Amino acid sequence: MQKHSDEALVAYLDGELDNTERGHVEAWLEADPAVRDRLAALAQATELARGAYADIVNEPLPERLIAAARGETLTPSQQEAEILVLRPNRAAAQVRLRRWHIGLAAAAGLFGVLFGGAGTYVGMGLLNRANPENEQKLAAATANNIWLDNAAGYYKMAVNAGDNMLVDVPADKEEVWQKISKDLSQQVRSPNLTPWGLSFRGARLVVVEGRPAAQLVYNTDNKEIGPLTLVIGASKQPDIAPSISKRQDVTLLYWRHAGRAYALVGRGDLGYLWGIAKDLAYQLDPI
Amino acid sequence: MSFRWKHAEAPAAAVERSEPTNTRFSDQLIAVLPRLRRFARGLTGSAAEADDLVQAACERALTRAHQFQEGTRFDSWMFRIVQTIWIDQLRARDVRKEDGEIAEERLGTDAPVRRIEARLALSEVRRAIEHLPPDQRTTLMLVTVEGLSYKEAAEVAGVPVGTIMSRLARARTALQQQLEAGSAVRRSATNAEAQ
Repeated sequence: MQKHSDEALVAYLDGELDNTERGHVEAWLEADPAVRDRLAALAQATELARGAYADIVNEPLPERLIAAARGETLTPSQQEAEILVLRPNRAAAQVRLRRWHIGLAAAAGLFGVLFGGAGTYVGMGLLNRANPENEQKLAAATANNIWLDNAAGYYKMAVNAGDNMLVDVPADKEEVWQKISKDLSQQVRSPNLTPWGLSFRGARLVVVEGRPAAQLVYNTDNKEIGPLTLVIGASKQPDIAPSISKRQDVTLLYWRHAGRAYALVGRGDLGYLWGIAKDLAYQLDPI
Repeated sequence: MSFRWKHAEAPAAAVERSEPTNTRFSDQLIAVLPRLRRFARGLTGSAAEADDLVQAACERALTRAHQFQEGTRFDSWMFRIVQTIWIDQLRARDVRKEDGEIAEERLGTDAPVRRIEARLALSEVRRAIEHLPPDQRTTLMLVTVEGLSYKEAAEVAGVPVGTIMSRLARARTALQQQLEAGSAVRRSATNAEAQ
């Protein structure tokens, strides 16, 4: 490292120089006001970089990441531990690996907290205070975005698990919709998607926005389309018409109506998914 | 017959054997998740992509838990996994770019958030960091944001300490220049409006 260089100044700021090197830099600073300005500019850039990411560690953790850290997103073949594979449509398949409480605390208070500090960071003339309307919009958009991230994440879990995926409520139980309605505290009717070539495989309980939600899993014989999932949860957000979003190669069609949020997730043709979403909206929306 | 959501009907042995992974290891992983998300956000510039990256890193870490050496820093080990997967993704994306698929892949990832966030000056700094070359961005995130020493960052990145120093100096200089340029543009726009 050259004694008189940006590298030396940056290392000085980071406390990475030994006594001798530090002495050289301090002598240089003493002798040249321009170097002192340079050091101040580099220190400013450092502080801004640090501040720009400071709030992220205070965000609620997405449920899917907690699940991933607990190994719940791994397929059995990926796991080191011996896995007892249970077929989904049998009574024994009701083993529940996921716990309701996971992420509940972490995800609580999702709305409005993610970027709560964003507008208050005012630094060295480069950052402006955001107006409250923008912050509200940002918080709502962020909450919606995370909702969709989770729906896409749970979809990937279902796809990765393939035939080994465990369902909480197998499709062949008549009480399935009563159970879902009871646990979601809202009446949910059984949508009939057989005209779309889909067969209901079962439901898994997931956590979205810190509240219980149901992930309905549908299979199809068409491998190009692959499985589809529908996440149904409660929502305090305003109603919205079916809208499209993407997460890499996964398409989400989502809408909200009468206190419920829906997300249809799949990799199929958009027109096909759109038709299903419209049909679901018609069948599922409360009267 | 009634059934329950939770695992009441599973035989105890089955539950025990189905326990996904070592609990202590998972607890360590969960504890470091906020910092992994922050690091990944700095690398990818996108909340959704960052969480996908962290999820992939968790899965890889769990399958390679036996490779972690007790007594070494767990966070550094995880940062290295995140960085490795991200570089793999960048390389794969470069290949896909040739096929013209990149635009679709990024379509709508978190566009609504980004459109609104763009109005916040805070995002200006993040955008400036996103414009840094990947190696500089990684180094800046590890040292400046995550607080690793040069030696620790060098171990994560798999490069000599001298390389870390030069990458950091270039990164901070470029960042400072970009922010100054942005500030100058804003000032002239404000002046023009005032006139």
